[in-house]
Order: sequence, then structure tokens, then C-alpha cells
Amino acid sequence: MARVVGEEKVKLKKSFVKPWMGLKYLFKKPVTIKIPFEKIEPAPKYRGFHTLDWKKCVGCNFCGQICPARAIEMTWLEVDGKMEKRPHPKVDYGRCTFCQFCVDVCPTGALGFSESYILTTDGTGDALELFNWVPIHPDKVKELNERFGDYRFPVVKIEKKADGTYVYYLRDGSKIEFKVLGYGIRPPKKSTPAKPATKSAPAKTTGTTEKNEKSSGKDSKE
Amino acid sequence: MANLEVPKELREEAKAHDMYLHPIAKDTYELFFGPQHMATENFSIILKMDGNRIEKAIVNPGFLHRGFEKLAEQRPYFTNIALLLRICVPESDVPENIYSMAVDEIVGWEVPERAIWIRNVVLEMARVSAWMFWIMGFGNEIGLYTPGQWAAAYRERLMRLFEELTGGRVYHIYTVPGGVRRDIPGDRWLRQLRDTVEYIKSKLKDFDEILFDNYITFERTEGVGVMDKKFALKHAVTGPNLRAVGVPYDVRKDDPYYLYDQLDFEVPILKEGDSLARVLVRRYELEQDLYILEQLLDMGPPSGPYMVQDARLKALPRFKPPKGDAYAHVESTKGDFGAYVVSDGSHKPYRVHIRGPSQSHGVTVLEELLKGARLADVPVILKTLDNCPPDIDR
Repeated sequence: MARVVGEEKVKLKKSFVKPWMGLKYLFKKPVTIKIPFEKIEPAPKYRGFHTLDWKKCVGCNFCGQICPARAIEMTWLEVDGKMEKRPHPKVDYGRCTFCQFCVDVCPTGALGFSESYILTTDGTGDALELFNWVPIHPDKVKELNERFGDYRFPVVKIEKKADGTYVYYLRDGSKIEFKVLGYGIRPPKKSTPAKPATKSAPAKTTGTTEKNEKSSGKDSKE
Repeated sequence: MANLEVPKELREEAKAHDMYLHPIAKDTYELFFGPQHMATENFSIILKMDGNRIEKAIVNPGFLHRGFEKLAEQRPYFTNIALLLRICVPESDVPENIYSMAVDEIVGWEVPERAIWIRNVVLEMARVSAWMFWIMGFGNEIGLYTPGQWAAAYRERLMRLFEELTGGRVYHIYTVPGGVRRDIPGDRWLRQLRDTVEYIKSKLKDFDEILFDNYITFERTEGVGVMDKKFALKHAVTGPNLRAVGVPYDVRKDDPYYLYDQLDFEVPILKEGDSLARVLVRRYELEQDLYILEQLLDMGPPSGPYMVQDARLKALPRFKPPKGDAYAHVESTKGDFGAYVVSDGSHKPYRVHIRGPSQSHGVTVLEELLKGARLADVPVILKTLDNCPPDIDR
């Protein structure tokens, strides 16, 4: 049974004088932080952007399965003309909730996270490519963090070319270049023939003609 | 007052579009309160006013409806943690804990002692930070902005501790079935927590002076929104709102979970049932929560693992508990918060039902209490009931 406290302890008496005691805070130091002059560091294990060791990643898709927001898509990459043997996760920061369950389930410890958390763009066309990336090596991210120390996204610009080549321009001026061959767990087919454009077109036309016929029939009935 | 009658044609047109327009008599008018108003937090009330008095209040929720319970059926067990905690924003650890407790019971895991201690500390920290958030809201609603700013500053200290422990500030995603996700960062963190508890304790006197002893608080809350004991029990009101009408019901005492049966704390009771009683009960509970945290720190974390050792956890996305169902509930700052989880043996739960406290005191009870109140009392009643719109909408 609960130990109950009666009215005598809980109740307070109203006062006209006491509220003025708050004035003493005028002579105390403020608790606010003056942001451009003072800095707050994130906690040492703050859940920020991902890192990925491409050599360790076995492409098991555990991260994709556990992701609550379905932000992870397995991607087949080609680096320097060689296809990676296993697909790697591509993280969409438009969906990611930063729960880091993907990091927890990673069986080889390839997927990790860094403390950097700031990613701002102007929201136009190409800049939005930044929000969907294949994470880069943890050592590189750590090096960039130590060099700049402002916890921003390690990549400045992602350039997407017509043939599926992506170029990551890192903050220190270096580049990472690779080609995306396909998405999904299954490896992409080597030769992708162009889809016959005629296949879908007639089906559509027939559908519309049928509808037209029906509607015209209705019209005639009316 | 001017004749505010709406032309008949307009009314019929509104009805044809399925709009929420009520017949307007002479000298009454309709006022949409929220969701832009700060007190309502993504929640809206349609007030039928007669001058400054409220004739009728119609609650208009649904701005935050996301269908949590249905979404939870489509996601693996561990993934649901990142979803369900969004039901209660100011204390997101409560939904995490109830869900984890229910799944623990289904699987039959014995959660390690260290994990239980950490979970208990996290729950109490969440309670304190939720009280701070409530002081901020309540102070703002009655026009005392200073204590609100202080409370936000003290809450920041707790958020910093959460950040170091869990890696997140508001959504911690920390408690999972079987234990917790990370160990305590070290003795430094424990010392910081003790410092924070002592710091907030030392500041309670200032809160009393400027907010709880303040005659403005008394003038604004005394006799406003009076709730009957019978009425409260009929509408399944729980938590501080029930204690303010004189029912000593506290889940931590009546159905103890974690370490609460070993802890010493008191349950405050008042009989008036008005807004002032609810405020004072909450103030006393904040004091008790700080006391509980001190006791937990005196006990110290037991040694051992912080997560259950189970081979099934190696394939987390395909983790399958046995068939069964379980209900678990904890005492949150809003009231009795419970989760009912049914497992059919697959890797996704068959059904997750959340019993939220705000559903009972935020809809029907609120409508009743607002009858006859003044317009300026609406934020006071809302904040002293302390409803949580995401919990009502779910």
C-alpha cells in the first residue's frame, strides 16, 4: 500500500513577497551559451552520420532489414573498373532517424558512426544528392573531423554523371569516384538491354480507347 | 453583442462539404483554440463561447495521427523501439520501457540486474526532465515566463547526460528488449548525474518562491477546473490528476516494477481536485523523483552484463519470440502508461496496443472541465491536466 502524504506537507501558502526573490538572478551569471564565441561539443558517442569500411562490409543486408525508416538501400558499386564483390548500403538522410540499429546489427563491424551531425544545403537539385550517400571510411571521417572540428558532413559536393558515376568531393579537396551498377541484394546483370518502348505503350492506348468507348457508349445511351 | 448568425445558405454549404460547423445561436460564437496556440501543442479545441464564458468545448484531435499501432505490426521487434517512443515526446523512455518489458515477459528473459538499474535511472531521469518541461509550459501559460526559462536550462543538463549515455538528446532509442543498448560511460557520468540532481534540488526553493508560492499561481488556478473523485474514476483518469482528487494510486507502489519495491518514496494526495491541487501534487512528485534518483545513486549500479546473453540476438532482424502475450505498465508523469504485445511466433508482433494516459484525461474529461470556464482558464486547465497530443492521436 502506498505511503500517502497528507495535505499538510503538499500544500503551500500563497505569498505576495516571495516572487520578488527571483530578482537575485539579475546578479548571477547567465546559463546561456553565446554560440559563435562558445562551442558545445557533442557527446563522445553521439549518434551522427554513418561511416563504412568498404573492405569489411559483406553485404548481408542486415542493416537494410532492421532499418525502421527503410532508409538503407543495397548498392552495387564499381571502383576503378572493378566491381565490388558485395553490395554496400546507401543511406538516405531524408529518411534516416539516426537510431543506429544498423550499426548494432552489423556482424563485421563495417558500419559505424561519427559524431558529426551538421548537413545543410540550399535544397536545389544537385545539392540534394548529398542526402543519399554510400558512407566512406571511418579513418577518413575521423581525419576530417580532427582537421576541421566543426562536425559538418565530410562531403561537400556529390556529382552524378549520366553513366552512373558518382564523384564525392571531400572537404579537404580529395575525391572519391565510383560507379553505381545497380540496386538490390541480387547482383546486376552485366548487359542491360534497353527496354522496348513499344511494350508499355500499346497497353496504355488500348486502356484509354476502351475507356473512351465505354464513356462514348454511356454518352450515346444518355 | 452583434448578431453573429451565419446565413442559412452558407451553413448548408458547409454541411455539404462535411465541415465541422455547429448551429450558432444569438450571442454565441465559435472559437478555434489551437493548434497554433502554445498551450495546446498540436491539438485543437473548438470552443462555443458566450461572451467570455465557454458554453461547450469540442475537442478536435488528430493532427498527429500516424497509426503507431498498425505500423508496429509491420516492423521487426527491435525496430519498433525507434517508432513507439514517438508516442510521448517529453518522456520518450516510457514507451520504450513498457514495450521492452512486455517483450521481455513474452520471451521469458531475465533482464540483468545492471540493465534494470540503468533502466530505472533512465525512467526517473525522464520523469524529472518531463517535470521540467511541464514547469516550462505551465509557467508560460499563466504568464510567468521566468521559471519556464530556468526549467529549460536545468532540463538541458539532463539532456546532456542523456546524450552521453544514449547518444541522443530527445529520442534516446536506448532501452531494448533484453536490456539496454550501451553501458554507462563511466564513473564520471554517475558523478555528473549526482551533481545534476543536487543542483536541481537546490533550485527547487527558487521554483517555490517564484512559481508555486506565487499569489498569481494561486489566483489563476484555485477553484478552476474542479474534478470530482467519482467523475475521475469513471473516466479512468490516472497519475497526478487522480492523486489530486484523493485516490492514492501509483503504479510504482501498487504494481511495483524494476527496483521500486526497494525504494522509499511518498505518494502525495490532495482532495480538492482543482487545478491548484494538480499543480501542488506535481511539485511534490518532482521532489520525490529527485529523492528516488539519489537513492538509486546510493545503491550504485550492480556489476554484470547490460544485455541478455542469447544466441538469437545475433540475427536481430529475424529475431522470433515464442507465441504469447504480455501487458506491462509504468507510471509516467502523465499517468498509467501501458503496452499490450501479442506475439504469434513470427519476427513481427501480431498486435501492439498502447494504453495512454492522455486518452482518458485529454478528451472527455477536458471537455467536461472546460464547461463554464473562462477563455483565459483554457490553457491553465490544459496544462494542469498535462495531456500529451501525440498520445491522444497515436
